[in-house]
Amino acid sequence: MSGDLKMEPASGCLIGVDTGGTFTDIVFLDPVSSTLQVSKTASTPEDASLGFRNGIAQVLAETGVSGSRVGRVLHATTVATNLILERKGPATAVIVTQGYRFMLEIGRHNIAKKANMYTWVKPPRPVPVPLVWEVPGRLDHHGNEVEPLDEAAVRAVARELAAKGIRTVAVTLLHSYCNATHEQRVADILRAEIPEVMVSLSSEVLPVFREYERCVTTILNAYVSPVVSTYVRRLEERLAECAIKAPLLLMKSSGGMTSTRSAQKKPVETALSGPAAGAVGAAFIGASAGFRDLITIDIGGTSADIGLIQDGVPRLTSNGMVGDWKMAIPIVDILTIGAGGGSIARATADGGLLVGPQSAGAVPGPVCYRRGGVEPTVTDAHLVLGHLLPELLGGAFKLDLPAARNAIENRIARPLGLSVEQAARGILDVLDHNMVGTMRVVSVERGFDPRDFVLVPFGGAGPLHGCTLSRLIGSRTILIPPAPGVLSALGLLVSNLRAEFSRTCLQRAGHYDLKALSDTFAELSRQAAAWLDNENVAAKDRKLLLQASLRYKDQGFELDIPWAGGEVTPAALDATVKAFHDMHERLYTFALRDTPVEIVTLRVDAIGMLPAVKLPQITARGSADQARVGEQTLALPEGPVMAPVYHRERLGVDAEVAGPAVLTQLDATTLLLPGQTAIVDKYGSLIVREVAG
Amino acid sequence: MASSDSTTTVNNAPGGDTTRGDIPSVDTPKTADPVTREIVLGSVRSIQGQMEGLIERTAMSAFIREKKDFHAGVFTAQGKLIAGKAKPSASDLVTPIFGEFPPEQMKRGDIYWYNDCYAARGAISHGPDQCLIAPVFLGDTLVAFAQSWAHFTDIGGMLAGSISPQCVDWFQEGIIIPPVRLAREGQLNDDLLRMFIRNSRFPSLVRGDMRALIASVQLGERRIEELAQRFGAAKLSAAFEDILARTSRVVRQRFRDLVPDGSYRFTDVVDDDGHGSGPIRIRWKMDVTPDRVTLDASESDNQVRGPINYLMNQTSPAMAVGLMLIGDSSEYNINSGAEALFDEVKVREGSILQPKFPAALGQRSVTMMRNVAAWMGLLGVASGGKASAAHTAYVIWNLRGRDENDKPFLMTDGVAVGYGARPFADGHDAIYSSDQENYPAEFVEGVYPFLVRTYAINADSGGPGRWRGGCGVVREVEVLSDNVVMAVRIEGPVNPPWGAAGGMCAGSGRCVINPGRADERVLAPLSDGNKVKRGDLLRIETGGGGGWGHPHDREPERVLNDVLSGYVSRASAEKDYGVVLSVDGSDVDAEKTRQARAVRPPVKPFHRHEYQESFE
Repeated sequence: MSGDLKMEPASGCLIGVDTGGTFTDIVFLDPVSSTLQVSKTASTPEDASLGFRNGIAQVLAETGVSGSRVGRVLHATTVATNLILERKGPATAVIVTQGYRFMLEIGRHNIAKKANMYTWVKPPRPVPVPLVWEVPGRLDHHGNEVEPLDEAAVRAVARELAAKGIRTVAVTLLHSYCNATHEQRVADILRAEIPEVMVSLSSEVLPVFREYERCVTTILNAYVSPVVSTYVRRLEERLAECAIKAPLLLMKSSGGMTSTRSAQKKPVETALSGPAAGAVGAAFIGASAGFRDLITIDIGGTSADIGLIQDGVPRLTSNGMVGDWKMAIPIVDILTIGAGGGSIARATADGGLLVGPQSAGAVPGPVCYRRGGVEPTVTDAHLVLGHLLPELLGGAFKLDLPAARNAIENRIARPLGLSVEQAARGILDVLDHNMVGTMRVVSVERGFDPRDFVLVPFGGAGPLHGCTLSRLIGSRTILIPPAPGVLSALGLLVSNLRAEFSRTCLQRAGHYDLKALSDTFAELSRQAAAWLDNENVAAKDRKLLLQASLRYKDQGFELDIPWAGGEVTPAALDATVKAFHDMHERLYTFALRDTPVEIVTLRVDAIGMLPAVKLPQITARGSADQARVGEQTLALPEGPVMAPVYHRERLGVDAEVAGPAVLTQLDATTLLLPGQTAIVDKYGSLIVREVAG
Repeated sequence: MASSDSTTTVNNAPGGDTTRGDIPSVDTPKTADPVTREIVLGSVRSIQGQMEGLIERTAMSAFIREKKDFHAGVFTAQGKLIAGKAKPSASDLVTPIFGEFPPEQMKRGDIYWYNDCYAARGAISHGPDQCLIAPVFLGDTLVAFAQSWAHFTDIGGMLAGSISPQCVDWFQEGIIIPPVRLAREGQLNDDLLRMFIRNSRFPSLVRGDMRALIASVQLGERRIEELAQRFGAAKLSAAFEDILARTSRVVRQRFRDLVPDGSYRFTDVVDDDGHGSGPIRIRWKMDVTPDRVTLDASESDNQVRGPINYLMNQTSPAMAVGLMLIGDSSEYNINSGAEALFDEVKVREGSILQPKFPAALGQRSVTMMRNVAAWMGLLGVASGGKASAAHTAYVIWNLRGRDENDKPFLMTDGVAVGYGARPFADGHDAIYSSDQENYPAEFVEGVYPFLVRTYAINADSGGPGRWRGGCGVVREVEVLSDNVVMAVRIEGPVNPPWGAAGGMCAGSGRCVINPGRADERVLAPLSDGNKVKRGDLLRIETGGGGGWGHPHDREPERVLNDVLSGYVSRASAEKDYGVVLSVDGSDVDAEKTRQARAVRPPVKPFHRHEYQESFE
């Protein structure tokens, strides 16, 4: 079928590669033999494509599959994020409207929220003033030309940039969200004067009003462009080295995949690639167990990513941040806090207990890792309380329990006048409440009752905390994925192609112009269709989702509301406005149903359905007794108890485990509390519930 | 402790319960365990943030939703602030309602409201700030209060915007709301609300903004109640007491580390009140003995006719100095515990810091911000220069008129200034006040009949120093409407913010119409009724903060970077910093810089136009 997605014979194997700071996770799926293979290799920060190749080579060797049988490779990358956080991108120039050279310096003329004005220091701007150029030419807020673009001035700037050897340029002109012609003309001139220039236009990256936010997102896009382009090319070479001819797709911050070609045009969209993959993986594993409303928490060594899945779909936001910078493009609504297994606990001079955000990381790591860490961490607290086994599965790695105990005793328990167990539990309590605070932000603050949601804890440390967190947040069910440590990589295998197209189309209350709405949706849909064409998506696999952002007259924040039905009709408009009132009430506790409503930005999401992936069912048939490998003393608040230890991979379908218990597996340890029972489902997920009392 | 001077009133801290004896000493801490305390503190901070987020997302006036002039707080059942915005403002927002509504008579679902500055003893210091308070109950026990306030665009009064430099009487500055009950057991008093809304020139904005504030305190009430359910009233109260005591201990310890025993004075000056009353001096005296710290401002000048009188709440000095002392420590937060810093704060009724009813208060920021700088000066004197240099008050201009559809409009545009350099860092460039934000040009042009032509850093407005004072900004607006009337407030053109520890004073602000044209005119810095017309270009330049430390001690690379980035002129680099650049200006000329710095100008502790030992 010509024009169809050419990537697979349906028998093609899938490989997902999720590059993290320390490890690169690989998930391999052979749909013919229903083999799911999970693997890990060290990340290679100096050249991330190396770890990418090593991981793929490793998984091919482990499965004995040749590169030619691979049908699709899917990748989550931290290249763009690291560039932004570490400020290691190339010299980037910015062109702005005359009079706005200091737009970045001034920003929104505020200090950071919650910062102390006496100690706060303004972080360096993404581009320094000497690399910002002004050009004359003005549009008004309707997009009408007030003054023509001074092309001679643009050309002079271009020549200066060329002379300085600058090849990366971001352009943000006032009101370009409603008229892109000036910006496009600037791009033409730049390309004529600087042959190899990479230009990012704000009218393409984020055609939405508020110039500072639009400018920052455009700059970040420009800033990561050259490196991401090079990286993507190198990835394709690495695939060739593995004899893989299959297409490579990248995960975007919105939770959708994109071709490498599209990713090179809007590379900033990959900035939250990994967390987005985790959200998609959680949504998938939840759906496989019949749960579509989830709160997800991915707990790693230094941080926890917390999100919410509603009706099987990760929520998106346009108010995200990457490092110090606002990221106004749609990204999966995930909040990150500095809380993880490596978070350091400290007793303060006057009797306080602090946990995180400082982390011992992988080096020196927790005290019990014997890599030189001296400050007690969350992992040490788990070990002291018996939640972790002194000898991790696989046997190669022994944890130093006496050292962890000493560290907690000397540095926390004694200064605070607590027992060692109380101190260890205190460390976990503080961390858990910190995470619960953020879980409440993504649920309660967004108008959702966490009691209606299933908690999905994942990441290496997630299953140690999940059963406690669910009690604190009041969620009744917990789903612990079969391989919690590599859920993000699994998410890569099950995501679809996706792109978002939005445009400001301000409709004042009472003066809705149905034709303008219809025309704008049509234009966005055309762009979406062109993108799907470009990605070779067959007609039957296409989906367009329309939505609008609405607000009450005079408000400054909008809510994204799915457009009712696919057509712009008075009835659809009424239904959309009603849905806005309802959502406002749910989110903010009140609706103003007699107040006029404005429509601000329209958005069309293009989705290209990739062939559905079926998770293989587990083959283990063992009962709980057969999986029992030992026992362990847990220091619970109510006193020490002996708890059974189970080897999770030996638990068969429907095996039932009662808490308290510890379940170990290669990439994670699960702590089950008294009063909870876990049942293994056919995909190997643990479904944990409170025993009705 | 009453003074023998009959013109001086002695003001113990409000409620009389923040004196030393009530603060637990180090060896007898209250009984909340450290884990509960940490969790409660994290929770109330998060609740406070949620309450502010709700205001931001639902409010309707640009002043609140874009500029973000609002604030939420969580208070104990006694009215002590536990968690609020980190800015130097009063902590005593709740107790003003206790006179009319004793806590024991409050009911679940009540909401209280006021903007009455005099009744609130300056906790709210000008009328546009509407303060809402909801008690929080666990069963029948009052466990806390949720509070929110926001600056409303217009609450009636003499002119659109309610506060104008022309006002000379508090009654000209809009409707006065004494402490009233806006909701009784969950039932909103619509009559009260309708009356308030009817008093505004922009009723639909006021209605929306009130709705946002109400939702915010209700949200806070629910969240704090949930917290109380988790821990119980007694444990929550113990945790609150512990959090307060911990802040008390740390600020007092750090204050003692910074300031030796002794008697110290510092005087700062406000140029004028817009009615010819200036200069107006704020005089502070601080006596530190081994067991007492006393502040005394009773020698400050008298209150004035113009609306810059600042009704200073008794808690304000400790909250500002406490915020500075707490700094970055994430384990502490600024709360009412800081009130323990000063055993006594003396002010004189009828003075600029304690005006008598009904003195006009609308533009009190001029005096308030200068007063915050004066405390830094006082600490600088007391610590031998270990406090930051001065800043100026944030700038406001009001533009009123009618748009193309003949609808009245009011644009109240907050304009950033520069802040004082610190002993460890430059002052903030282009900051308004805490996390308040500017109006984007694309917002201004979409809503008001103006084009924003220039928005830039005001070069050389930051005082030179080892650490440079922050620079103010330049904002130029072209008028696209006939008959616009303009008010402007710029503080300190005559007496700009001083430099400290060898640093120099800042540059001044000004407002000029049609600069460089034949009809150019400079406006009085605190004035209203300025008429402008279509085609006029309005240019406002704002002042910076003072510098800290000898300018010759600033690394030449930093000075070079400031020149290349447009913060400092080449001339100032040579004259003030002794840094000479290469001919093309791209680098430091090391040899010429060495020569220029061979002669090191002598300095004194303070600088305003010239170096001085202190100010009088």
